[in-house]
Amino acid sequence: MLIHLFNGLVHGTLLIVMCSGLALIYGLRRVVNFAHGSLYMLGAYLGYSIALHSNFWVALLVAPALMALLGALLDRWGFRLLQDRDPLSVVLVTFGLLLVIEDFVQTVWGKSNLSIATPATLAFPVDLLGTQVPAYRLAVIALGAAVALGLTLWLRFSRAGLYVRAASTDPVTTAMQGVNTDALSAFVVGLGTALAGLAGVVAAPFLSLSPSMSSDVIIDSFIVVVVGGLGSLAGAFVAAMLLGLLQAFGAVWLPEASVLLPFMLMVGVLLWKPEGFAGSRT
Amino acid sequence: MNLPRLLLSTTVALALGVAVALGVHSATLLSLLTQAAIHAIFALGVGLLLRQNGMVSFGHALFFGAAGYVVAILLRVKAVPAETAMLLAVLGSTAFAFLIGLVIVRVPGIAFGMLTLAIGQMAYLGASRSRGLTGGADGISVEWPSALFGMPTATLLQPWAMLLLAWSVLVLVLLMLALLLRGHFGALTEATRDNEERARFIGIRTLLPRATVYALSAGITSLAGVLAALNTGFVSPESLHWSLSGVALMMVVVGGTRVLWGPALGAAVYFLAKDLLGDHAQHWMAIFGVALIVVIVFAPTGLSGLLLRLVRASPGGAAPRPGV
Repeated sequence: MLIHLFNGLVHGTLLIVMCSGLALIYGLRRVVNFAHGSLYMLGAYLGYSIALHSNFWVALLVAPALMALLGALLDRWGFRLLQDRDPLSVVLVTFGLLLVIEDFVQTVWGKSNLSIATPATLAFPVDLLGTQVPAYRLAVIALGAAVALGLTLWLRFSRAGLYVRAASTDPVTTAMQGVNTDALSAFVVGLGTALAGLAGVVAAPFLSLSPSMSSDVIIDSFIVVVVGGLGSLAGAFVAAMLLGLLQAFGAVWLPEASVLLPFMLMVGVLLWKPEGFAGSRT
Repeated sequence: MNLPRLLLSTTVALALGVAVALGVHSATLLSLLTQAAIHAIFALGVGLLLRQNGMVSFGHALFFGAAGYVVAILLRVKAVPAETAMLLAVLGSTAFAFLIGLVIVRVPGIAFGMLTLAIGQMAYLGASRSRGLTGGADGISVEWPSALFGMPTATLLQPWAMLLLAWSVLVLVLLMLALLLRGHFGALTEATRDNEERARFIGIRTLLPRATVYALSAGITSLAGVLAALNTGFVSPESLHWSLSGVALMMVVVGGTRVLWGPALGAAVYFLAKDLLGDHAQHWMAIFGVALIVVIVFAPTGLSGLLLRLVRASPGGAAPRPGV
């Protein structure tokens, strides 16, 4: 019982890290990044190669940093040039990007399953209220909570966070007030991409690396952001936890229907509120 | 396009199909063209949704694959004759799409696309993990009876006959759409697409037409699914996978939706390009990904839009006319 709750929390935290990147990018650029799952996968594979040559902790830092750079480039040479185009065509551009990244990953790392070993410092079981849980997964939950808290505090209390909130509401007016929204966007898209990469590296020790990992996670992420309300961080946090728990308990209680549960959650929420938990904008 | 001209081009297109089906003897080329025609019907469904509703579906493989599965399962349990099974597959997909359409077309903007992706992927996971009816990840073969529509199935499955069938269905679907969209329904859905709020202000109930377009587009796609099941005699979860939906969408974007036949052109280009790529085909994802980005950035109206512009620009070219 407790172990399912625990696994649900782990899955939910991973989704939080993924979806906060997705929500941030949507908030600022109004782009639903279909390539976000592929960026997660690319981060995981980069982490794998880095960990092979050094160790897990270096990978945990370097892979997201490389992804941040990639994200900033993507914003500068992609989203920024396309910002006046209709949102649909930008989405299709990210879909094209998804295809390119998938092919790149399969070409470089092959199609077989790979995995990163759990770092030795965290490879021991912890006794949690009488249930043995891996310490690594406990650390994942802590990291996810730190990311969620850090992002919330940053957006709420820092000057840059204020700019991000302003630009998410009205980019033109924000730019007129003297905020460099292009630099801000590059930073935010970089941050969002880094978060996708971070989720990938963090997931690698307990989910195997395979070419299908991107589509698995992007479906869940989309359900989360749609249910939570597009562009809303708080909505995404709640929805991610809900989905993580639902999948963990669904796999135990309703194994036949477990793949359909997220879908039912989504349809249920949308019937009740078509714009999601926290969504008001379209 | 006025009615006589429409009927004339339909007749010419059908005659062209007969000429190609009887004139080409290479079985490889015939089967390539058949594939292209079937996917052209698929893409027409996706394109209709974009053209009339302004909505992008990332999950239309759901209807393509589901139609195949319905036929395969109905034939396996021997519930109904094959002809009825095909009809039920198309009607069932259309009705199912109408019902979920009533829910999901209310979701604004891009969230709709994400929803269709999620729903389609659920179907893929469901079909590949349930072992019983759908045969799990291995898929199931379709046990066609020895005669279909009073014809021996073996004759129907000859490459030239399949091409003729797929091509004729494609042309007739185009004709049906052209006839439907030149009337009240076309005007109604275009008004709703361009500004739903204003359409509501002038008294249009927007939900039903939008759900109808969704259902119609699903119905057309399921028709392609039935043809594919006939062509290959096999259905697997791959036919439900999001990457197939993505390929169909790619055909639509590359072909363009200014004119009705745009998506069909995209499908033809896709299959020709894939065939020409030959040895590099293992990198088709990257190549088509780049192609998709290039078309969106430099030719937002797609190849059909480019073609139309060329025709209009050339002296003595056809007078501009609104899409078919």
